[in-house]
Amino acid sequence: MQFKNKVESGEFAILAEIEPPKGVDTTVMVENAQRVKGVVDAFIVPEMSNAVMRMSSLGGSLLLNSKGMESVMQVCCRDRNRLALQGDILAACASGVKNIIAVKGVDPGNGDHHQTRAVYDISLSELLNTMQLFQEGKDMAGINLKGSPEIFVGSNITMTATGSLLDKELEELRSKVDSGTDYFVTPPVFDMQSVNSFLKKVDLSKTHIIPTVLLLKSLGMARYISKVMPHVKIPDSVIKRLQEAPDKARECTRISMDMIETLKSEGFSGVNVSTIGWENKLPEILGVFAD
Amino acid sequence: MIVADKKPIDEVIETIKDYEKILLLGCNECVTVCEAGGKKEVEVLASALRMYFLNNGKKVSIEEKTLERQCDHEYLEEIRDVIDQYDAVLSLACGVGVQFTADKYLSTPVLPGVNTCFLGATEKRGVWTERCQACGKCILASTGGICPVSRCAKRVMNGPCGGSTNGKCELGPDTDCAWQLIINRLEAMGKMDEYEKLSPLKDWATDRAGGPRTVEREDIQS
Repeated sequence: MQFKNKVESGEFAILAEIEPPKGVDTTVMVENAQRVKGVVDAFIVPEMSNAVMRMSSLGGSLLLNSKGMESVMQVCCRDRNRLALQGDILAACASGVKNIIAVKGVDPGNGDHHQTRAVYDISLSELLNTMQLFQEGKDMAGINLKGSPEIFVGSNITMTATGSLLDKELEELRSKVDSGTDYFVTPPVFDMQSVNSFLKKVDLSKTHIIPTVLLLKSLGMARYISKVMPHVKIPDSVIKRLQEAPDKARECTRISMDMIETLKSEGFSGVNVSTIGWENKLPEILGVFAD
Repeated sequence: MIVADKKPIDEVIETIKDYEKILLLGCNECVTVCEAGGKKEVEVLASALRMYFLNNGKKVSIEEKTLERQCDHEYLEEIRDVIDQYDAVLSLACGVGVQFTADKYLSTPVLPGVNTCFLGATEKRGVWTERCQACGKCILASTGGICPVSRCAKRVMNGPCGGSTNGKCELGPDTDCAWQLIINRLEAMGKMDEYEKLSPLKDWATDRAGGPRTVEREDIQS
């Protein structure tokens, strides 16, 4: 439980996302993770992000654990009903995966199996309550468990909201804390200005916030995110920095490295590095943290 | 038609207890046929509520009106001139009518007085059964006119499943196996060759996979 220990002791924790494969060849996934083993405290294994079918988070998490690497399993309301979610959480905990992040999941209409039915049997807050119940020894039906799990529970929160949306976000944060959430992972952050309003209202020494640092892959990607993802703010200065850089790929990496340093100095509990398919860049991005 | 069932009166009372002037609004369409929210049910419920509040010493005014439809702008306009006289509307229409009324009269609470259950048919007076789930892609042509989406517990597209016994579903002896019904009908029509054809993977994108649905007909739009 290195990740939990670091967060609770106030040390800066490093998470990295590792996508499981679309298939059974796990070579690249494991190799990419092993390259930063010891630097990364735990690997978040997304549960079919963007509703694209691939190996489940449970499978990927167990695989990494079996190779001596701590993982964070993601559980998602979209694909499983309350029976399956509870069963998978028990399976994970009994097998040594004790970090679990709960997410709602995007609609399958955006994925590669757009003809499927979404489940959404229970809401995200009910899923968080379920993990709290588990730790008290009960399931959702109120029946006693034979051995209750210890779970380091995470959820997500957006820091870029302002005005009334910020009030709503803060209310959600309080509600999730009441439901037993131990830490929050945020969408990608590219500058501190976009999260200033949020930080004025939240005490980082009491609420464990772990922002995501997303590795940009190109100037086009930066512009696209800026245009279509309203909750992710990429400042003009970052776009300009990429425009002017002679080696754009190298500059993308530098932007991530600089952001991680900024987040550390701002007092966040850690960082989640997301490279969406470019996990081989993790050693370069996190090189400064290597012994 | 849309089949609805009356809400328990205790639940209705709990919903409206904080209001003093209530419009009890019925609908002349589906909920009238299934005897959950038509003019007659409005009268009966209004009397019961008046009696309850009278016995409990609470002054509540309940007025009655039944519209031709609550899922139509034209008929909902009939209450525009009087809507501000009420603290709340208790609608006995289906969920569509409740929402359409609420959309139209933004500042007035519109509360549901029935539970909307399913798309179904009248078996006999007092018994309605589900026949359609509005999945958006009808396959009745290949299933003998019997819908496995709404009538098979598992929505099996190539049935029956292993739980079918003597023509009944594994849920219990009161539930027909939809696929047994399909086979019986295909046999009766001499079309068992249809049964041998495998149904392709069901496309749920026309159901709810893509979020709330809209039907647009440009040819009849004005």
